Amino acid sequence: MGMDQKQNVLRLSAEKLYAHELEALREADKAAEKPAGWQLSPRAVLTFITGGQAGETVITPKYIGNKRLVEMAIATLLTDRALLLIGEPGTAKSWLSENLTAAIHGDSSKVVQGTAGTSEEHVRYSWNYALLLAQGPSDQALIRSPILRAMEGGGIARFEEISRCASEVQDALISILSEKTISIPELGREVSAERGFSIIATANTRDRGVNEMSAALKRRFNILVLPAPSSIETEIDIVRRRVGEISASYELRASQPDEEAIRKVVTIFRELRSGVTLDGKEKVKSPSGVISTAEAISLLTGSMALAGSFGSGELTDEDVAAGLQGAIVKDDVKDQQVWKEYLDNIMKKRGSSWRSLYSACTEMNG
Amino acid sequence: MAKPVQRLYGDERVSEASQPHYFGIRHLSPAGSYHLLALLNAVKPTAILIEGPSDAGDLAAQLTSRGVVPPVALLAYTDQLPVRTLLYPFADYSPEYQALKWAGRNHCHAEFIDLPTSISLALADRRRVPQAEAPSGEEPQLQGGGLYNRIAELSGEPDYEAYWERHFEHHLEPDVYRRSILHYSNEMRSLTEDDELRLAPQESAYNEIRESYMRRKIHEAIMQGHLPEKIVVLSGAHHTSALALSLPSMTDAELAKLPRVSAKMTLMPYSYYKLSSHSGYGAGNQAPAYFELMWRCMQDGELASLPALYLSSVAARMREEGTWRSTASVIEAVRMADALAAMHDGVRPTWRDLRDAATVLFGHGELSVVAEALARTDIGTAIGRLPEGVSQTPVQDDLNRELKRLKLEKYKSLVAADLELDLRENRRVKSEESAYLDLNRSVLLHRLAALGIRFARKQTVRQSDATWAEHWVLQWSPEAEIETVESTLKGETVELATAYVLHEELLACTDIAEAAKLIRRSCECGLPQVMGQATSALQRLAVDAGSFEGIAGTVHELSVMLQYGTIRRVDTEPLVPIMQQLFLRGSLMLQEAAGCNDDAAAGMIEAIHLLNTAAQEHYEQLDAALWVEQLRLLAERDDRNAKLSGYAFSILLERNAAGEDECAKEVARRLSPGIPADIGAGWFEGISMRNRYALLSRSYLWRQLDEYIASLEAEPFKRSLVFLRRAFGSFEPREKAAIAEMMGDLWGVDAESAGARLQQPLNEEEKESLDELNDFDFGDL
Repeated sequence: MGMDQKQNVLRLSAEKLYAHELEALREADKAAEKPAGWQLSPRAVLTFITGGQAGETVITPKYIGNKRLVEMAIATLLTDRALLLIGEPGTAKSWLSENLTAAIHGDSSKVVQGTAGTSEEHVRYSWNYALLLAQGPSDQALIRSPILRAMEGGGIARFEEISRCASEVQDALISILSEKTISIPELGREVSAERGFSIIATANTRDRGVNEMSAALKRRFNILVLPAPSSIETEIDIVRRRVGEISASYELRASQPDEEAIRKVVTIFRELRSGVTLDGKEKVKSPSGVISTAEAISLLTGSMALAGSFGSGELTDEDVAAGLQGAIVKDDVKDQQVWKEYLDNIMKKRGSSWRSLYSACTEMNG
Repeated sequence: MAKPVQRLYGDERVSEASQPHYFGIRHLSPAGSYHLLALLNAVKPTAILIEGPSDAGDLAAQLTSRGVVPPVALLAYTDQLPVRTLLYPFADYSPEYQALKWAGRNHCHAEFIDLPTSISLALADRRRVPQAEAPSGEEPQLQGGGLYNRIAELSGEPDYEAYWERHFEHHLEPDVYRRSILHYSNEMRSLTEDDELRLAPQESAYNEIRESYMRRKIHEAIMQGHLPEKIVVLSGAHHTSALALSLPSMTDAELAKLPRVSAKMTLMPYSYYKLSSHSGYGAGNQAPAYFELMWRCMQDGELASLPALYLSSVAARMREEGTWRSTASVIEAVRMADALAAMHDGVRPTWRDLRDAATVLFGHGELSVVAEALARTDIGTAIGRLPEGVSQTPVQDDLNRELKRLKLEKYKSLVAADLELDLRENRRVKSEESAYLDLNRSVLLHRLAALGIRFARKQTVRQSDATWAEHWVLQWSPEAEIETVESTLKGETVELATAYVLHEELLACTDIAEAAKLIRRSCECGLPQVMGQATSALQRLAVDAGSFEGIAGTVHELSVMLQYGTIRRVDTEPLVPIMQQLFLRGSLMLQEAAGCNDDAAAGMIEAIHLLNTAAQEHYEQLDAALWVEQLRLLAERDDRNAKLSGYAFSILLERNAAGEDECAKEVARRLSPGIPADIGAGWFEGISMRNRYALLSRSYLWRQLDEYIASLEAEPFKRSLVFLRRAFGSFEPREKAAIAEMMGDLWGVDAESAGARLQQPLNEEEKESLDELNDFDFGDL
């Protein structure tokens, strides 16, 4: 597959999307000392994530708001420890995990997706049964899990939504993380991790209690809790940046939402999330679903798609209202009630600049 | 003369005549102490001049005398009102403290050379006045906050403290500290000087005065015969460049012109807790215990072991609290802290790196899990100590005398002990002193409480009527010692200080209830004079008192004092006219105040109760007849809050001011058909709030209620149900059962079977009909 073809895939991996930035960083970083298995120095990784300059190239910030947290994540990987990122939905756990992996290892594709159906084979290895029956156990018949591949190559494997897996699957990780080996008794050998091997796992705080992680497993991770964006300005910044990037890669034929529209959406989301208006004066009911920053981003890009495909290409209040309706009123009649109360009690009183969005939302909410 | 030694350490120009050694520091900096000692050992000065109040005199020497355990502080205070204070705290690792200790060991002259506190306190007053003129908006720039944040940002550190620690505290190579801090503070000074002159000329001028005074003191030291190259000058790094002797120093005439106030000084034990919460002085003190650990490591030459020591002690604290963290976690935390330091090109982790590592490894990402263990490791409970004989304030002396006189010395211990007091005269002993021992003890303990000295806590006595009994828990702590020293500012003895505090509160008091409380407190503190002042203050305030509830509370307070004042041997006679006056006003205000909504009625009921109690207790002094008359009026009126009318009527019943006929008539009138349900039921709620037995024993009352309920239509019935349910909600099960039986009798149902039926759980249908009530629309209720 050529490079050009790859540009047409639905979603580019971080190392492809920011290939030129990584290249510039590698160039600028030539002289710096790098830990075994790392393609960039820790400091260059930090620059890649939090933004800065590499030679002539401007490095866009990928994770905004908490530089120290990124430093702590990199320091963890420096000490060969596995990293676990915990946070509310939409706090950019996977995004941070993917970008860290891309910067350190250059390949963020070694991913295990944690689901209720994830089995121990997904974590360790499985077999190509046709070959296994024909040849008996052999290297050719072995299907390596992303983690096994990362161990062999001294790279970083990602484990998404680890707390969705059954506990026996989680437990399989314990020996991998403490021994740094996977034994394959069928082949009579053991795969030991090359230097540079590590795992970045993510877990959702909303899943807590579904499959609570064991203390033994927790001890093998350095755990970082990713906070929700602390200030509205940070959140607006995040939303604007991501919407810009997504709309460029999806070629949405609509103009970017203006600052005002983003501010309104983020305001509504923050108020519904925290259950109180930004000025702290009025209480608001929160809807049952998750109101994350990621939702705000997909809402705006969705609205842009609507405007681009069916509208004038200009993002109108009707488009935003349709997006808000979908994001806030998930499946419950109660959500509809919550949204109606918010519209009538809060938004209606916000004056003329909110008037047309209010009318559009009210109409949509029925 | 050969000068081989100071050339090693000086960076001054060779051509210049011999100069003192200047050593710039940051207060509370372990590395500063470390490098200072190295310099002192190399130079072997004959005089050390230290930035600090030059009028400290003997106290400076006492600071390092045997038995003193830092943290300790020099406290300067004006001995006249308004009291102003200056505090100079020292930890063991304060460079100033180490300099004093070195001087003591090596028989070297040591002296504080900053402005005497009599001048700096006076100047502090003047600086405060014209501050407002500075153009707003530019202020933060001046404070250096913006500048410091910018430095932290540029160096990639999370905050300025981390920057400072990484760049100044971790380097033990000879002379690095002195040279870099000098360079750094010169740059900082040149960056901020212009702004300071423009935006805060007072600050700038104040610094100029101080520096010129310090130069004068340096000259004086040279005049006294100390060779300049044998003098070490220790000052905040900001001032170092301004202390060069080439600059003019203060003349006698200039010194004479400076304003002065009368000021005194004392030593006091200090605590790391206070050090960490006083961010105004010096810096690097958010974690005093951490820096002490660093200092100890430096002295042992094992600074490299600091991260391991710190993190394992955090883990140990967590284990003490019952959260197990393994040694392996400690090792990983040290590694992570090292990695964080390496990312910043640091030699070793900073406090911030260590904390973050602890949060990740011990707290699993949550700071809240480790916060307490961190606080105990960072701040700790270390408290300074001063041995006996070291300068004490008059209040400390007085308190010790009092404790001895009242035989309370044994309670001055770190272990809490109980003390039961019987305030009555002990008639079995001979001297008056011992007859009233417990009373005097109570007075002292109340005074200490009023001063905010946490030595004794008063426990509530279960038997509330026994006003002669008091139960105290006594526990001494060095914090209490500090609080004692602080009360020196308020008066020379415990008694005077207490009087001052209460008097201050009295001046600020605008409310009759507060004034009445102050009367009681001054009575408890045995201060008849303040009590007199409080009484006249109350009198003054009483003229304008317009809140019924406030008046009732005050009357109650006064009534309690009148009843029990004699036990404290206090003349309460002057309180009687005030109580009479307030009671009269309260009685007359009753009607007006009773026109309120149900929310306000709760407070009103409490107030009516208090006034009624007072009327009963002091029937000789108070116009009880007027009160009853007013109650009757309230009970009869239909335009006041129905609940209050009901309550007033219940008092009349209780006082036998209303007979059976009257009661029957009133119930019939209040609960007659056509009266809105909420008003009727509200009235009943009011009447049922007092003396349940009186209600239960009057069967005609229940008959009336029954008839009333039966007469209601469906909607009003539901409405009244809510009120009645609330009224009966506070009844005890036994009382409810009695009512049920009574109703059973009325309806001709056998009492036992009715009771049994009531005990059965609700069935679905009944539940549903009850649930329906929840959705009932009460309109504007």
